Amino acid sequence: MEHVLIIGGGVGGALAHDLTLRGFRVTLVEKGELLSGTTGRHHGLLHSGARYVLHDPAAARECWEENQILRRIAPQAIEPNDGLFVALDETDLSFREPFLEGCAAAGIPAREISVDEALARVPGLNPEAKAAVRVPDGSMDAFRLALPFFATARANGAEIRPYCEVTALERRGGAVTGVQVCDHRTGRSETIGADLVVNAAGPWAGRIAEMAAVQVPIQPAPGVMVSVAGRLTHMVVNRLHPAGEGDIIVPQRRLSILGTTAWLADDPDRVTAPAAHIRRLLTLGAQLLPAVRSLQPHAVWSASRPLLRTDPALDPYSISRTFDCFDHAVRDRVEGLVTLIGGKATTMRAMAEKSADLICRKTGRNIAGRTRETVLRPYRGYWRQAVP
Amino acid sequence: MAVPTGQGEPEPMRTIRFKISRFKPGRIDPSRFETFVLAVNENMTVLDCLEQIRLVQDPTLVYRHSCHHSACGTCACIINGTERLACLTRVWALATTTVTLAPLRGFARIADLAVDMTGFYREIEAEWEVLRTAEPLAGAADSGGALRLENCIECGACVSVCPAVQAHPPFMGPAALAALHNQMQKTTAEQRPALLARAAVPHGEPMCERALACSRVCPTGVYPARHIADLRRLRLG
Ligand SMILES: Cc1cc2nc3c(=O)[nH]c(=O)nc-3n(C[C@H](O)[C@H](O)[C@H](O)COP(=O)(O)OP(=O)(O)OC[C@H]3O[C@@H](n4cnc5c(N)ncnc54)[C@H](O)[C@@H]3O)c2cc1C
Ligand code: SF4
Ligand code: FES
Repeated sequence: MEHVLIIGGGVGGALAHDLTLRGFRVTLVEKGELLSGTTGRHHGLLHSGARYVLHDPAAARECWEENQILRRIAPQAIEPNDGLFVALDETDLSFREPFLEGCAAAGIPAREISVDEALARVPGLNPEAKAAVRVPDGSMDAFRLALPFFATARANGAEIRPYCEVTALERRGGAVTGVQVCDHRTGRSETIGADLVVNAAGPWAGRIAEMAAVQVPIQPAPGVMVSVAGRLTHMVVNRLHPAGEGDIIVPQRRLSILGTTAWLADDPDRVTAPAAHIRRLLTLGAQLLPAVRSLQPHAVWSASRPLLRTDPALDPYSISRTFDCFDHAVRDRVEGLVTLIGGKATTMRAMAEKSADLICRKTGRNIAGRTRETVLRPYRGYWRQAVP
Repeated sequence: MAVPTGQGEPEPMRTIRFKISRFKPGRIDPSRFETFVLAVNENMTVLDCLEQIRLVQDPTLVYRHSCHHSACGTCACIINGTERLACLTRVWALATTTVTLAPLRGFARIADLAVDMTGFYREIEAEWEVLRTAEPLAGAADSGGALRLENCIECGACVSVCPAVQAHPPFMGPAALAALHNQMQKTTAEQRPALLARAAVPHGEPMCERALACSRVCPTGVYPARHIADLRRLRLG
């Protein structure tokens, strides 16, 4: 079978799993620790899709479908306590009907509950709340939700190489034929040949594309997150309004994670957490759960969304959260290179499936994907198998 | 730190020396310290500094990290002599101008600050539950059936600091014993004796020297020593 080399240990892990199940020979290289990019450092929201019903129904439907699949194939690290969308003022209230209709249209089981019931479930909720809708959101440990894909891929024969950075693409004629890597564990450089290279470098995908002198429509859109010590809610608490800054609190262990801000950046590495963003998240978070006001930040960090750029003038909150997969042979007449971009951690399995379908078409193979039904190995299985 | 959107304010910086233990098998071998100098603001953590050093000074620096907020457990290392999470340790709070970084003890070393976690999981079954019943929220009568993830983030700090692990490497170590004890509380009465027997083997709970260092360094309040004491009480009946 063809040898596929995947660049990037985020969503790339789900692709390694899908391709090994279909029988491909797979190598995955990641410049740092696995999941040290965006996939390990987001809020940890297992999306129900409800956040997107007002402006991105396709992403909403995708999220709800994948939410249900992940609960089945990787249940170990999901806190399955649902979520609330809460209206705090008259403007929020005006979105209640379109929100409920949008959820219904996307098939998301959303149900309005009384403010009294919401306060009984989340006693710390702002008592001024005007309306509350319950949705099947969840919280996850981002690292432990994604690691089972690597554990299973590795058990099925994929070679997973963390601390291995791609420094150039090997090219012959108009085709990409492999990669040059520096293995930071040993300091040695080497060339790895491949029948196909997949660029799954997330916010860094533009850098990899440049190595093949092609362009991809990637827009790094960083965001800041703040965690406070104290579990203020068991349910995810969202503000009922169109996606905007500081509109979500995700519980995880004994922490509450406030998210997020967003802006558009050129350099995914130069992403920081300005003090103004931190103050803003604490202020907005306290509108949802007033106890936030009395808590100190426990950790502050940021991450870059690898958004698919459709229109450069767009507002970062409304850029579609759906994903795409490009065959550079079709786009740019460069054979041997595929790029996948966009999506959410929640939809990583679907992104991988769509990319693997494209890889099958390219290689003339007709093999159906099986990741929908295949229960993944527990994350600890990544270490509990002998290193190949 | 670069300011992304222009709304950042100028901030005071301190010049800090980072003495980092370097190791690349066959290349930087035996390991040696290398010093990097960095301007650090009040909010930067040791992990933020490692990211900056890798980005602008040495792309070959190897360390583990993922969540940046004490959930994944990958970033534990020895910071000025103490096991800590790099992502929670603010540099200014260390109140020194030199920060010394070394990898955890008692683990096989991959490179620089990164250690191999295979040994850590030897005595922790992959299937053991990571979810537990959540505590009731303030103002609520019960948890309403809510679940949450266990406190232990499997960072390895307690194993690194444990004198019994250093003296007797086969010792299961504090994290595995705490995980085993948590698992006992989630299984059926019939399965409990087998788990207890597993803790009671010579390289299990009896090897603990009650140094309590594990509970002192644990960044998430697991208090492994209490779990070990509970296992000991159960064994001695
Ligand atoms: C602030 C924020 C909050 C979010 N919240 C959520 C949420 O709550 N729920 C949710 O489902 N999604 C969330 N997302 C979205 C989600 O995290 C991302 O869409 C997803 O993780 C992107 O995965 P990726 O694999 O494309 O990128 P990454 O995870 O970044 O993976 C790319 C990898 O490529 C590696 N790489 C780069 N260059 C090279 C090279 N030269 N050689 C080798 N490796 C290389 C990087 O180190 C990186 O690990 C959030 C995103 C952000 C920014
Ligand atoms: S018990 Fe604490 S110190 Fe030990 S591995 Fe778990 S989180 Fe880390
Ligand atoms: S980076 Fe996850 S615990 Fe520090």
